[in-house]
Amino acid sequence: MDKIAVTGIGVVAPSGIGKRQFWANIKAGRSFIKEITRFDSSLYPSHIAGQVDDLEKYSHVTERLLKKIDAFSHMALVASEFALQDAGIDIKKEDPNLVGIFLGNAIGGWLYAETELRDLYIEGREGVSPYMASAWFPAAPQGQVSIYYGIKGFSKTVVADRAGSLMAIGYGRKVLDKDKLNMILAGGMEAPVTPYALLCCNTYGTLSQNNSQPQAAYRPFDRGRSGCVIGEGAGVVVMEPIERAKKRNASICAYISGYGATCDGVDRIHPAKDGHELARAIKMALDDAGINPQEIDYISLDGLAVDIWDDSEIAALQEVFGRRLKDIPLSCPKSMFGNLLGASGAMDLVITILAMEHKLLPPTINLEDAAIKGLNYVTGESRHREVNKALIISRGRGGINSALVIEKS
Amino acid sequence: MEIKDKIKDVLAGSLKVKPEELKEGLSLEGGIGVDSTEMVEAVIALEKAFQVKLAQKEVTKFSTLNDIEKVISSKVNKS
Repeated sequence: MDKIAVTGIGVVAPSGIGKRQFWANIKAGRSFIKEITRFDSSLYPSHIAGQVDDLEKYSHVTERLLKKIDAFSHMALVASEFALQDAGIDIKKEDPNLVGIFLGNAIGGWLYAETELRDLYIEGREGVSPYMASAWFPAAPQGQVSIYYGIKGFSKTVVADRAGSLMAIGYGRKVLDKDKLNMILAGGMEAPVTPYALLCCNTYGTLSQNNSQPQAAYRPFDRGRSGCVIGEGAGVVVMEPIERAKKRNASICAYISGYGATCDGVDRIHPAKDGHELARAIKMALDDAGINPQEIDYISLDGLAVDIWDDSEIAALQEVFGRRLKDIPLSCPKSMFGNLLGASGAMDLVITILAMEHKLLPPTINLEDAAIKGLNYVTGESRHREVNKALIISRGRGGINSALVIEKS
Repeated sequence: MEIKDKIKDVLAGSLKVKPEELKEGLSLEGGIGVDSTEMVEAVIALEKAFQVKLAQKEVTKFSTLNDIEKVISSKVNKS
């Protein structure tokens, strides 16, 4: 399959809104995990998160539209606008039938849904906003982005737990490769910092309860790991065929060159211990890219900070890269701002592209005593290093595995 | 406050638009591009504000401010 160009990046994250602010905080290794302030979450076992608090300051969305949409759609709209600006694309000049949207998320728009459900039980059915029907469901951001820009091409929302957005990006690339579209907005968004969504995440059982030390709570691959911390945000990129990007003199951020996805098929929640199916997804992505494992010089890790997840991820990497794994820098920068669940893969793509551009690998914070020794983790602070080919891993409950290979432009 | 001014305020508040955007003589759809979902909420807001019941076809996105005023005035005067 052909490589696809990424020509624009849009990001809304606890670490920053817009790629400059976001990257400044990522490269500095700053944590944005804190006690949840949006609502009283003190009785939840885990009540810390990465929150996006000042989206309105950066938003182009009118009040009239805001009242109709959930926070996850709002974040997707802002990230899409940033991505289009970054790509230098005037969407009005595009053929709307040849523009698509491929977004992923895991849980839908619960802030809107639970508010209206509360009104349903208190006020009866007349108390429920008519916008409820179009605000809560996982494909709502795709719909809102398409309405906002008048986009009419083939589009898709992928719901695959935490792997959703990386799978959406992989799917989008396949569609572009078949010459069905001129360009795609691809990525993901998630807004789990709400009373009900936080409760669901807590019952899932993989959240850190180290509430007294929020910034030290999320410690993937560390011996003292205690689970992940949720975060909210959106990452969107503009993808287009290389010929088209070159023809319009676009600045190409990176190429997406390989994608693979598999299922473990062993448990409704946990992954397979051996990581074999994840290894197969990685090999598929490498084969798709037409490169061998020796060429990968950075790996962006999924890193749930749960024993079976982290250990099986390393087992998969050992199966694919063998003894060379110890030489490849590995990192899980989401330790700084939280696990964005279905949007985490898109955010990892954004970070990896920025790492390539700045020749600077982002750190995994809180990784002080690795559970599996002898690996080349980037810890503490950023590390100068040129990256030409990188692997991004994103996984989901029930054994969903996805892997993406990107290359420097 | 006259009924028409109150209708304007209620619609502007419900639809999150400025009252001056609601032009006389234009339908809600023609003037500010109201969609059917927005109309559901706008009608509920009018019913609450004027303590009346509005049938589905009495106030629609094709109604002008004058049309809405006529409907609501007739109901307010009856009660």
